[in-house]
Amino acid sequence: MAHINAVHETDIVDAVRAAREAATPLEIIGRGTKRGFGRPLAAMNVLDVSGVSGIVSYEAEELVLTARAATPIAEIVAALDERGQQLGFDPVAWGSLLGTPGEATLGGVVSADCCGSHKLRYGAVRDHVLGFRGVNGFGEAFRAGGKVVKNVTGFDIAKLVCGAMGTLCVLSEITVRVVPKPEKSITLAVDDIAPRDGFALLRKIWSSPVEASGLAYVPDGARVLIRVDGAPQSLEEKCAAVRAIASAHDLKEWDDGDALFANLGSGAAFVQTAHDVWRVMLPPAAAADFAGNISSSLWWGDWAGGVLWIGLKKDDIAAAQNLRSLAAASGGYAILLRADAQMRARVGAFAPEPPPRAALTRSVTAAFDPLGLFNPGRMYEAV
Amino acid sequence: MHLKDPDPSIVARRAEIAAGLRAIVPDGVVSERAGLTAYDSDALAAYRQPPLVCVLPKTREQVSAILKFAAEEGVAIVPRGAGTSLSGGALPRGDAILLGLGRMNRIIEIDYDNGCVVAEPGVTNLAVTRAVEKNGFYYAPDPSSQIACTIGGNVAENSGGLHCLKYGLTTHNLMGVELALPGGERIRLGGKAPGAGGLDLLGVVAGSEGLLGVVVEATLRIRPTPPLTRTLIAGFRDVPQAGQCVADIIAAGIIPAVMEFMDRRCIEAVEDYCAPNYPRDAAGLLLIDVDGMPAEVNEATARIMDIARQTGAHDVREATDEKERARFWLGRKAAFSAMGRLAPDMLCMDGTIPRRALPAVLARMAQMSDEYNLPFCNVFHAGDGNLHPLIIFDVMKPGELERAENFGADILKLCVEVGGVLTGEHGVGVEKRDLMGVMFDEADLAQQQRLKCAFDSARAFNPEKVFPTLSACIDSGHMHVKSGRIPRSNLPRF
Repeated sequence: MAHINAVHETDIVDAVRAAREAATPLEIIGRGTKRGFGRPLAAMNVLDVSGVSGIVSYEAEELVLTARAATPIAEIVAALDERGQQLGFDPVAWGSLLGTPGEATLGGVVSADCCGSHKLRYGAVRDHVLGFRGVNGFGEAFRAGGKVVKNVTGFDIAKLVCGAMGTLCVLSEITVRVVPKPEKSITLAVDDIAPRDGFALLRKIWSSPVEASGLAYVPDGARVLIRVDGAPQSLEEKCAAVRAIASAHDLKEWDDGDALFANLGSGAAFVQTAHDVWRVMLPPAAAADFAGNISSSLWWGDWAGGVLWIGLKKDDIAAAQNLRSLAAASGGYAILLRADAQMRARVGAFAPEPPPRAALTRSVTAAFDPLGLFNPGRMYEAV
Repeated sequence: MHLKDPDPSIVARRAEIAAGLRAIVPDGVVSERAGLTAYDSDALAAYRQPPLVCVLPKTREQVSAILKFAAEEGVAIVPRGAGTSLSGGALPRGDAILLGLGRMNRIIEIDYDNGCVVAEPGVTNLAVTRAVEKNGFYYAPDPSSQIACTIGGNVAENSGGLHCLKYGLTTHNLMGVELALPGGERIRLGGKAPGAGGLDLLGVVAGSEGLLGVVVEATLRIRPTPPLTRTLIAGFRDVPQAGQCVADIIAAGIIPAVMEFMDRRCIEAVEDYCAPNYPRDAAGLLLIDVDGMPAEVNEATARIMDIARQTGAHDVREATDEKERARFWLGRKAAFSAMGRLAPDMLCMDGTIPRRALPAVLARMAQMSDEYNLPFCNVFHAGDGNLHPLIIFDVMKPGELERAENFGADILKLCVEVGGVLTGEHGVGVEKRDLMGVMFDEADLAQQQRLKCAFDSARAFNPEKVFPTLSACIDSGHMHVKSGRIPRSNLPRF
C-alpha cells in the first residue's frame, strides 16, 4: 500500500483526485498518535499530511490563531504561552495511552475531539474552532467559517469536522479561538468522600460562580479534586468560596494539581495496564449511580461527572455491551477509546445510532465524501 | 433582490391545503387574506409576501404531521418563531406553509442538577432567564430582542448578543435539540451529557437558518449569575486610541462581559435624545461591563481604567451606583431610536471585522459616506469585532434608497476584504444571500449546499434563503427602516 506525503494543500488535492480515479480509500494521518482510536481500517493507501505544518498567523489581541492542520500542539502551545494565552479546550494527548506516543497535532486533536479538564470552564474543541480549509471527497479545496470570533455566515461546518475522525474531509488549515492563560491555579482536595457525596459536591461547585477549571472524582483515596484559576487575589477569593461550599469537609491544597488533571485527561493511569479503556459521557447528576453500577474498580470522573473514564477487562464483549446500554439508559453514551483491533471491530468505538439518525449521518458524510474515500468505517461500519 | 413569484399551481390549492392542515391543527390555521397579512414579513420589512397559509401547532406530534403532509403535497415550509429576524430568515413565500412555533411555549424541565433548561421552541429568550433567576442562574445569550425572540429562532440564527465575547453565541450554550426533519421524522441531537456522541450535527443545526429542520425542543445550558457587575465608560478623542484600548485590555488577559463602542455621531445623537452623560467631545466611546467574583471584578476594573488612560482616554468614569449604571446603559440601548430621529429611514448593517482593522474600516466608511452623500453612524460590539453601521437616508428622496443599499453592500464587502465576515449575528437570510459569493467561492458554497441536501433533498425548508440563486447579481445587505416605522419598533435592536 502506498504512503503518500503531502506538504501543501495542492498535494492533498492531487492525492484525493488520484484516490477518486483509482477508487482507493485513504487513511489520513498526521503524526499518527491516534491511529488506534476508532474502528480498524482495512489496508489502504496512507495520506500522510504531517508535512502540512506550521503556524500561519497568530494575533493575540484578536484571540485568533491559524495553523496548518498538522502543526504540533506543542508548537502552538509554546507560541501562545509567549503571549500569555492558551488553547481553551485543553488539548490532551492520547498517544501514550494508545501505544503510539508522539506529538499530537492540531488536526488530530480536532478530529478526535481531545479535550481535557479545562473544558468545563472554557468549552470543548468545537467551541473554539472558528473555521478551516480542507479538501473534500470531490477533490475540491474549500473553506468554511471565518477567522473572527463572531460569525454566522453560512452553515457552521467548522463544528461538524470536530470529532468527525477525518471521515468528512482532509483538513489543511484550522483557525481557532484562544483564551487568556490564567496566572495561577490552585487545586483543593477532599479525601474519604463516597462517590455520591463527592459528585454532589462537585456539582455544587460547578453551579457556583467560581468557574472551576477542573472538577474530578478519583476512587483512589475516595478523593474529590477541585481546581480554580485566576490572578492571585481572585484565587484567594475563589478558594474561600470553595471552602464555604465544602464547609462540611476537610479541604487540603494539592501540590501538583495541573499535572494531576493532565494525567486524568490523557488516561495516564491506563498506560501500563491491559484494560479496554472507555470514556462514558453522562448527565453529571447520573455519574454516581453509574459508577456504582459498574463492575470495574479502575475508573475516575471528570467534568463534575460529565465524563467517566472506565477500564474494563480486556476483550470482554458482554461487559462492553452492558456498559453501552447502561450509558444509554442514563442519558449518555460510551466511547471505546482503547482496545485491540478485533474488539473495536466487534463493538465499535462509537455507540451505534438509532436508525433515523444513522441515516442522516450517512447522508451528511456522503455530502462531503460520496465515495467513502476518507477513513472509511472508522466511525461506523457503514460510514 | 429578486424573489421568485409564487407557483400558481400551489396557490390555486390554498383551500385544499388549509383544510389538510386544519385536520392536523383544528384551532391553529390561518388562511384568509386579512389574517395572513399579519405574517407577511419579519423584522426585515423591506420584503413582504403573505404566506400561502399559516399553521400554528401546539405539539411536536402536530409539527411532524404538518411536515409529513407538506412533503406529500410537495409544499415548502418556512419556519417562524416570533418573526424578529433582521435578515428575512422568516420571510414567507406565497406558495409555502408558514410554520409558526409561538404556541409551543412551555418550559418542559428545569434541571439545576445538570445545569440546564429544556424548552419548547416558542419560549422567549428572556423567559428562560426569568424561570431560573430566582435560584441564581441565567441563560447567557442575550440578543437585544430577547423579550420577544424565541429559543427556536435563536437556535436557527445562532443568535448572539452583547455578552458573546465572554459567554459565546447560542451554539456555545445549546446542549441538545429534538429536530423534526423534512417529512416529519424526529431525531435527538445532544442532550444533558457533554458532546455529540457521533457527528456534531447539533453544531451545524445551530445557525442553519431554518434550512435543515425544525427545532421542537431545546436543551439549554444555564449558568450561575455572576455576583458582581461593574460598568464604566471611556471617551477617546481619536478612534484608533479606542481600538488600541480594546486590544490592550484583551492582551492583558481580561475578557470583559461587554465592550461596546459608539462613534461621535452616535454619542451626539443619544446625548440629544436621553442625555446619558457621555462625553460630547469624544470621537469614540467605550462602554464596558466587567462581571464575575468581586475580587476579580474589582481588580479587572482597576486595570481597565488604567489601560484606558494609558491609551489616551480623556474621560474615564465608573458608574458609582445602580442609577448611573442604568443611565450609561440607557444611552447604548437607545442608540437606535436616537439615530431614528435624525432621518426618516435607516439601514442597519451587521458585519464582523478583525478589531485591528477598525480605524481603517471607519476611515473607509467615512469616505464612502462622502461618495454616497449619506450620513452614517457606528455602534460596534468592540470585544468581538461585530460592527453595526447605521446608514441614514430618506426613502422619499429619489435614488436615496438605492444609494443607501449600495453603500451598505460596500460596507459588507469591505468587512470581508479586511478579513472579516458578512454577518456576525443577524444571519444571511434573504438579505445577504446574494453577497455570499463575496465571502465564499464556488467550491465553498457547493459544499454548503450539499450539506443542505443531506438534510432536505427536496429543498422544501426555507427556500430562497442563505444561498444566492444563479440568476441573481450582487445586491445589498441591510435592515430597512421604513419611514421611521420599523417593525417591532418597541424592541431594542442590535
